[in-house]
Amino acid sequence: MNIYVLSLGFGLITASILAIASVGFTLQFGVTNILNLAYGDVMTGCAFVAYLVTRAGGSLPEALIAGAGTGALASYGLNRFVYTPFVRRGTRMFGMIIVTISVSLALQNGLQAIFKATFFSLALPRPSSYTFAGMIFTSQQLVIMGLAVAAMLLVHSLLSWTKLGRAMRATAADPELARSCGIATDRVIDLAWLLSGALCGTAGVALALNVTSFTSTAGGQFLIPIIAAAVLGGVGQPYGAMIGAVVIGLSAELSAAVISPSYKEVVAFLILIVVLLIRPQGIFAEVATQKEVVA
Amino acid sequence: MSAEPLLSVRNLAKNFGGVQAVRDVSFDVKAGSITGLIGPNGAGKSSVLAIVSGFLAPTSGSVHFAGDVVSGFPAYRLARLGLVRTFQLSSEFERLSVMENLLVAAPNQRGERLRDALVGRWRWHAQEDAAVARARELLARFEISEKEDDLAGDLSGGQKRLLELARALMAEPKLLLLDEPMAGVNPALIRRIESHLLALRDEGLTMLMVEHELGVVERLCEQVVVMAQGQVLSSGTMSELRMNEEVLDAYLSG
Amino acid sequence: MSSSMQFYVSNLLVYLAVDVMACLGLNLQFGVAGLINLAFIVFQAAGAYTAAVLTLGPSSSMGGFQSYVLGAHLPFPLPLLAAAVVGGALSYIVGLVALRRLRTDYQAMVMLVISLIATTVVTNATGLFNGSNGLALIPRPLQSVLGFSPVGYQWFYVVLSFACTMIVWVVVRRITGSPLGRTLRAVRDNDAAAMSLGKNVTQMRLTAFVTGGAIAGFSGAILAQYISAWSPGSWLFPESFVYFSAVIVGGAGNNMGAVVGAALVPVAFLEATRYIPQFGYPGLVDALQWVVVGLLTLAVMWFRPRGVFPERTRRFARTTGSEPRP
Repeated sequence: MNIYVLSLGFGLITASILAIASVGFTLQFGVTNILNLAYGDVMTGCAFVAYLVTRAGGSLPEALIAGAGTGALASYGLNRFVYTPFVRRGTRMFGMIIVTISVSLALQNGLQAIFKATFFSLALPRPSSYTFAGMIFTSQQLVIMGLAVAAMLLVHSLLSWTKLGRAMRATAADPELARSCGIATDRVIDLAWLLSGALCGTAGVALALNVTSFTSTAGGQFLIPIIAAAVLGGVGQPYGAMIGAVVIGLSAELSAAVISPSYKEVVAFLILIVVLLIRPQGIFAEVATQKEVVA
Repeated sequence: MSAEPLLSVRNLAKNFGGVQAVRDVSFDVKAGSITGLIGPNGAGKSSVLAIVSGFLAPTSGSVHFAGDVVSGFPAYRLARLGLVRTFQLSSEFERLSVMENLLVAAPNQRGERLRDALVGRWRWHAQEDAAVARARELLARFEISEKEDDLAGDLSGGQKRLLELARALMAEPKLLLLDEPMAGVNPALIRRIESHLLALRDEGLTMLMVEHELGVVERLCEQVVVMAQGQVLSSGTMSELRMNEEVLDAYLSG
Repeated sequence: MSSSMQFYVSNLLVYLAVDVMACLGLNLQFGVAGLINLAFIVFQAAGAYTAAVLTLGPSSSMGGFQSYVLGAHLPFPLPLLAAAVVGGALSYIVGLVALRRLRTDYQAMVMLVISLIATTVVTNATGLFNGSNGLALIPRPLQSVLGFSPVGYQWFYVVLSFACTMIVWVVVRRITGSPLGRTLRAVRDNDAAAMSLGKNVTQMRLTAFVTGGAIAGFSGAILAQYISAWSPGSWLFPESFVYFSAVIVGGAGNNMGAVVGAALVPVAFLEATRYIPQFGYPGLVDALQWVVVGLLTLAVMWFRPRGVFPERTRRFARTTGSEPRP
């Protein structure tokens, strides 16, 4: 069995989780200009909710729905009752970064206080495995990839074909202008956080599903590749984040096979640095803005 | 009076990802005069100002200042050469006092170098005292002396405009680039700022000014450059331009 | 005072000195220059490792129980100075990448990632600083020379660390009280306006970043030589946040605020509570501590965004002549 082909398989799964997560992350930034560094910890929270659901005998779909729902509500609440009030009070981007880290720290350790610093895994029946062209996937991993594809299609059709999607892009591009064009930006922002939160929750459950065990810091650690993917694609650009996720996911798993598993994130990080040096606005930023201009 | 213009802009062009914001713009600014740059929204005036002040790099074309090619220089180098800009939105250092705002602008401060700052006060305090004295003169000139110790962020909109002007002058400009200095200013203060600008011109300061208020332009500017859709439509005195059909069309349609 | 009480107090005082130095360094970067260096702790760690390997001697002499690079036996105070230099040099390299072209939000992200990646690299590259086990038996400065009793040496170290803190204080005060400090604050408030007034914003930011990094490295050396051990667990990402929290609580942009913040957050909160009884399962108190630090920071940012000691502007005496001011 070829180890590179195998890692390609792992890469596809990582890329799938990453795509779901980084599209959500980038949407939050794009629509509200808030760099939500608590994103990974919300993911963890959703994974714990899914864990509780499976412990109570819930199935995988039920766990996913619970996770996505928790993510949507938690993110909406976070923006509505914490971040937005700070922004209205005049806290600038500078301070908002500190606010989101404070939330991240409180959330992560709050979860740890509740669930203790031990390892968890979703209480689901053992999945069956399938082999495709030298790559091995469990049925759960196939579900993850399916979810990613479905989520990307959903986000794509939402952004390009619905009024809400257009309103979201308009708000992202220029909130003042959007407001003066009669778009209810507050409602658009609420919906954007609900949507991105659902993606966040789904990604959290997917992350828990893909590892044999997770802890209260799992989501926080996953934030590095999320940031790398989002920056690679140009922060605030959903399509960029999708491509960024594939690049980061594949390169991380392939480098794990070629170099060493402990340096997975290091490679993702090096890609990030190189991109920032060459094109600080992200590789796909300009293409995407042009699209915005046309739309 | 020298015939050589202080600033010449030659064939300037700027593309933003396929959109041509500025194309082939050329004009001169005569030393000792106020030149106006007008045009409808999106005409490219602000881009031209940003390029001339070093905040944007031109796609092609050149900017000549006092006989030297300066296009592509970073903003801080242009400022040190005497090409200082102001901003359309008030850009005070909000958590510095009014006095500190002015002192920041003093050129060539020894105390700004790490080594001199660490060695101690005696390395820079003489220069600082001179700067404080000059800043007080400027505050008095703009009639905001009593605000000296206030936080700049707490000033009213009009006071911020005056501070912005005073601060720019503190940097000892040869050419002052004014980006809509009257934006959001009440009529009484507009008159006050106008008389300040005219007095500065009479003292020999050259200015290039982007402005929407045509009345202001008419009262202040000897020469006016009209832009539309990224190009120079026409230039001349305001009364010449009023006769120009093309200019009138651009304004009416813009 | 009983000797255990003396240990307790002197221990807290050394931590106070280290945290005050670190907060002064971070305040220069964050409060004064507006740089969100979420990797601050990495520069402290770099100084700590530098001082450690430069006092431990060659790695081969350790009988294979820990391996590291660059082992040497440098006399006091060279390891401390080297730590400051390494902290500054590393800041310069990182600053060149991160501060030159990136917007504030991107800077913050890059710094966060640098912090997490540095931990990964140092943990996994075991030949560098002995991996996750870290370095132990780091010699304490002058301990063998002075021949103090253990308690006596504790107090000696308190004096040493306070003297170092004074040096840092003077350096930072001279910067913040000079035109350099004023221009840094201007760059923080509005970098475009600063540029338009002839300020080389990148160079200014680098100056603050490197000076702050050198102070961080210096403080790390004082800490590592005191506790005699240093490992990746000592400088995880949240430790940077403790310093941010301290600077915000004390008052960003105000040196006195940094000192008070250091006394309130890292010392009173995290160090002193080590001595309160544990309850619940092991680790619960630690987790709750971090929850409280997070919530405290949020509360201060909401109710008193400028901190206990807000930044002050300077008033200039209204004398007409050039007499010296008080």
